[in-house]
Amino acid sequence: MVEQNTGSAFVERKIDADGFAIRYLEAGRKSDGTVPVICIHGAGGLRLSPMHEMLAKTHRVIAFETPGFGASATNERSRDMADLATTLCAAIAALGISDYNLMGTSFGGKLATHMALQDRDKVQSLVLLSPAVFRPSERPPMATPEERRTVMHAHPERFPLVPADPEVHLKQETLVRRLIGPPRDAELEQKLPGLSVPTLAVFGSEDRLTPPEMARFYRQHYGNAHIMLVYDAAHLVDLDRPEAVTEVVGDFLARKERFLVSEQSGVIHP
Amino acid sequence: MKAALFNPIRYSGSSPAGWPVAPSSYDLEIGRASMLGGLQNLRLADELGFDWVTVAEHHYAGFSLTPNPMVLAGALTQVVKRAKIALLGPTIPILNPIRVAEEYAMLDNLTGGRVIAGLLRGTPNEYVTYNINPAESRDRFEEALALIRRAWTEPEPFGWQGRFYQYRSVAVWPRVVQSPYPSLYMSGSSPESGAMAARNRIGLGLAFTTVPLASQAAKFYREEADKLGWQPSTDQVLYRVGFHVAETDEQAMTDMVESGAAKPNVGLTMANKAVLAGAMSSGYFGKAAEEQKERVAPRDATERVEKGQILLGSPETVWKQICRVRDEVGAGVLDLFPIVPIADRTRRSIELFGAKLLPRLHEN
Repeated sequence: MVEQNTGSAFVERKIDADGFAIRYLEAGRKSDGTVPVICIHGAGGLRLSPMHEMLAKTHRVIAFETPGFGASATNERSRDMADLATTLCAAIAALGISDYNLMGTSFGGKLATHMALQDRDKVQSLVLLSPAVFRPSERPPMATPEERRTVMHAHPERFPLVPADPEVHLKQETLVRRLIGPPRDAELEQKLPGLSVPTLAVFGSEDRLTPPEMARFYRQHYGNAHIMLVYDAAHLVDLDRPEAVTEVVGDFLARKERFLVSEQSGVIHP
Repeated sequence: MKAALFNPIRYSGSSPAGWPVAPSSYDLEIGRASMLGGLQNLRLADELGFDWVTVAEHHYAGFSLTPNPMVLAGALTQVVKRAKIALLGPTIPILNPIRVAEEYAMLDNLTGGRVIAGLLRGTPNEYVTYNINPAESRDRFEEALALIRRAWTEPEPFGWQGRFYQYRSVAVWPRVVQSPYPSLYMSGSSPESGAMAARNRIGLGLAFTTVPLASQAAKFYREEADKLGWQPSTDQVLYRVGFHVAETDEQAMTDMVESGAAKPNVGLTMANKAVLAGAMSSGYFGKAAEEQKERVAPRDATERVEKGQILLGSPETVWKQICRVRDEVGAGVLDLFPIVPIADRTRRSIELFGAKLLPRLHEN
């Protein structure tokens, strides 16, 4: 295990699993008894947002870098999403984690779904941010940096996404295209009703890549899904409105389906 | 063109000036008679062929006895058999948007799809009513609008993590009858509101304004819509205007003078200097605040006719005034409210409008 300080609350480490050396970022205490949150990034690669920093105040948070992303070697070995999920489940086991909450973003939402199917006895809750399990047949134009920015952000002035190095971007794009599967994945859909883990699917109201109109399919196909629309956020919900996303995700992690019932006090003055 | 009869259900007795008005000055008999009289006028409008009947939300004064227009509209569903029922409307930033969506859905079912859904920001004094900061009114409005539309169209239960509104689960029953939802209008006299209406592709209501200012606002709205690649229909520009029709111009003015309606009128916000000052400093009126004050400045009857704020006179005279609104504002819907608070003359005015002006209006 290699340890390196990245300068935020998160510390960079590596773990060997399934023949890959997998980089991950970790923050939060190990010993407070809460179930850790495992984060699976999107097609853009591993990144931290203010949401991760805020969640790390109450949870042990581990954000993996999927093999083939970032500075890791080109991944030509993983055959499909299920295979890649097996690798990540092995990494979690190698860290000695038996129960965990799982959070996947976009492409990582589909990957996390495969992981939840494989690790169904270990996953306590599943959080999907702008997940790409169900996608419209057409993508909005994203050829120019400006087009990409308007698809990703409703509020780029808040926490703008730092674009990846072009070579890394190309490597990741190639891997994502090879593995992600069709906009409607019949084989995966067949398995979803049996996924009884409490699931929260979060969408930005202004997202055009995984638009809120996709949200209903999660409700209709997953065994136990709740939908949350984050107003005035685009695809990168946790960068556009991190406070709003963290609040509802934190509540869901803590209370699962009981998050439906408000515990906020209405008392103004005693 | 289309014509709507707007009845704010004005308290027909005398009540002190100012806002809010002490409830102690409310007479139960007069109040009840005012409400029943209003219902009768709206029923009459339906029988005479008016295209819409309109109700609105105002609080804490005799200007209007409909703090909840949904309740009145519920009663109207049993009285108004043909015309559309327009609510122009609930003041959504001070309300629970989900409740608004649910009530509209009920009304759309009760009328078989004859509801017009106004979603308004209201007058600044309304923000005192439920203790909401008027400085946040536009942001609250736009979020509530997005939420209400989503609540009408989303087929599965969903949560909403907004800036001002938070719901863990929304699933509106009954569903709205009209597809995808009732026609929407918002008020748009200020450039900010006109741009918001264009951005959200909804109809524009121009109320308590003047023809020159309304023309400017409607032009701005159409230009903004054009930039976004769509053209509002004629029906999507509504002009609310006071009216009184009599057999002759002289009789119409006599009715105005005798009823006291000819005197300069003071709006609800202007009636309370502290509320007006608070609204001004909150930025409620937007960038064109001075223009907004010009809209609601007190004027006597003659000035109001000149500015196109009221239609007054014989049917022939009023027809010319209508043509001015049509030609200069490009309004496809006239939302007409009676300005002479004398029951029999109001009734006569509505009947004259129905008989002499509605057929011509419908041809245009």
